[in-house]
Amino acid sequence: MADRRRINGPVGTTNPPIYDDAPEKQSEGVKVTRSRPANVIRKMYLKTGVTPSASGSAYLEIESSGNGGSGLKLSCSVHGPRALPRSTPFSPHIILSTHVKFAPFATKQRRGYIRDPIERDLGTHLETALRGSIIADRWPKSGVDIIISIVEGEQDRETSKAQGIEAWDTMNALSGCITVASVALADAGIDCVDTVAGGVAALVQDAGNDAAPSIVVDPIPSEHEKVLAACCIAYLPTRQEVTNLWFKGDLPASDMDVYTQLIEKGIQASKSANRVLVDCLNETVG
Amino acid sequence: MASSQHVLLSPAELAYLHASLNLTPPIRPDGRSPTQFRPLVAETGILPGTNGSARICFADGTEAIVGVKAEVERTRTRHDFPSLDEGTEDDDDLDDNQNDVIKGDNDWVEMTVEIPGYRDDDAGTVFLSVMLSEALLADGEFTKRLWINQRFHWKLYLDILLISPPLSYPLPLLSLTTHLALLAARLPRLKSEGDEDPLFDDDWAAAPYLYPRPSEKGSKATAPAPAARPPVTLLVMAVGNNIIFDPSKEELAVADVALAVSVGESSSTTTSTTSSKPTAMDIDTEETKGHNLRLLSVRTIDPPSRLTPPGIPNASNSAYGANAGVKDTEKKKQQQEQARTAESEAVEGVWKAPRGGAKTLVMATMVQKVLEKGGVADEVLDALDGVDLN
Repeated sequence: MADRRRINGPVGTTNPPIYDDAPEKQSEGVKVTRSRPANVIRKMYLKTGVTPSASGSAYLEIESSGNGGSGLKLSCSVHGPRALPRSTPFSPHIILSTHVKFAPFATKQRRGYIRDPIERDLGTHLETALRGSIIADRWPKSGVDIIISIVEGEQDRETSKAQGIEAWDTMNALSGCITVASVALADAGIDCVDTVAGGVAALVQDAGNDAAPSIVVDPIPSEHEKVLAACCIAYLPTRQEVTNLWFKGDLPASDMDVYTQLIEKGIQASKSANRVLVDCLNETVG
Repeated sequence: MASSQHVLLSPAELAYLHASLNLTPPIRPDGRSPTQFRPLVAETGILPGTNGSARICFADGTEAIVGVKAEVERTRTRHDFPSLDEGTEDDDDLDDNQNDVIKGDNDWVEMTVEIPGYRDDDAGTVFLSVMLSEALLADGEFTKRLWINQRFHWKLYLDILLISPPLSYPLPLLSLTTHLALLAARLPRLKSEGDEDPLFDDDWAAAPYLYPRPSEKGSKATAPAPAARPPVTLLVMAVGNNIIFDPSKEELAVADVALAVSVGESSSTTTSTTSSKPTAMDIDTEETKGHNLRLLSVRTIDPPSRLTPPGIPNASNSAYGANAGVKDTEKKKQQQEQARTAESEAVEGVWKAPRGGAKTLVMATMVQKVLEKGGVADEVLDALDGVDLN
């Protein structure tokens, strides 16, 4: 429901500030390139129980790129399972409702308080990813709300001018959302078949060498010349199953191998994130 | 929304449907083969007030209309395009330079989906429109077609209306209709040159197509982009190891996994025909038979099967057979234990909503079946060729 009583700031009428020093820096050739190996994800910090009033909550922070930008900071709270209001029809399963919202100050372009299509889309993806992992028939007639606020989006101060990068950033945001929501669900004590975690892999073209494009795990779009394709995967490691797959890009149909490799790398990234997740949960229990 | 709509089928019916779709070869309720689509009626150019329009009616009674409208809009100058500041005034070969700086912006395309009975900010409706526009913008070439000059561009509004109630998940219908509308879309011919205020030809007959036809030699030469056709998004589902295309609502209700695969086509003909230098267009059309497909996007769709009511096996049903009216506490305990195993194990013939995700192998096969030579995407594009676009 749109909140009409709130007075929002102007939408899309101002250009984001651009700092003068950027072109100089680029001409010096100090453009940050990827320093991690191709199959290593960034360090992340994960903590449960940050919101005492919620039945489960978690906080995730992903290391920022070395470019003076900000890393991803997510906070998730889970409310429920709780009885559905009387007016809703009978449901034999738990009803998930996911809410993903960027804070107005999370990205360079200010976001309003009303969720825009990208945020709603992220919410749908997240719901698909989680519904596969939850054992939904243990809670008939009940609902659970999963609310994620992205406190700080992944943004590079210098390269955000480049167009089209934001589209790839949403993939990283989604994978973070999946991981943090999975931890929060576990913290809330909701039965799952397995802990699901998100992972991103991308097919990138690097600036220097005009050789064949390579596949990297957990990409930072600004570190590469061009992102050709990317995929975000939600993976259940013990069952070896994928609950959500989102691929985007432009791949010729003739090389399906690249697509398969991309998916495999995405699964690998998800497995790495899952290790952090399991450690975090062990810490909570122990 | 539409995908998670409740289907009024009992657990027994669901179990039967699932079992019959799981056979080799699968038996579909309407007798189609796994890769067969529902018959449809398509026409284009139905709305004279638009730049391009199309209507598709599926045999099950769902119908969609798409209208494409274009407006001239002033391009917002951005400070971060160095190419704009450098200027092209001094150069004699203005055209060459211009081709270099043709740049599109994803904001130039606005897509809205309207489905009766659903709010336009409903998660499912938003999901559909984001999915369709994602496929359209994936290769970054489409927006370049909307470039007029450095100061102006076309703003394209794509309005997708489902005019019947959503009887099945409307994704394939909306995607095919959008595809045809874009193919039929024309923009007025530009008369002005360079960076002047744009002036257009009054003659609608001279207006070039947004996606130039292979037979039109003149427009092809100036076409900036390689993508020869707008994308098509196909709905694929899997039951067990069987892969089924264009599922109806009932079939989708028992799906283990459902994927939306967007496929585009780039024109290979330009490269392949130059060597042989053909004179007739017939050769051209023959060569396009093998489509040069590109994978643009894949998305998992939450299958509505996860929301279906489960059946109860006889072993754990306290109101049936030998268990009926048992008072003994000892026996009840036993029953409860049985019920617990029944919860985790599948019982033959008893429906249980699928848990967990899909195997990677199944997912990979689904995408491969779409893309392989002579596969479903090829077939669909061939069939769409048959639609009269005038």
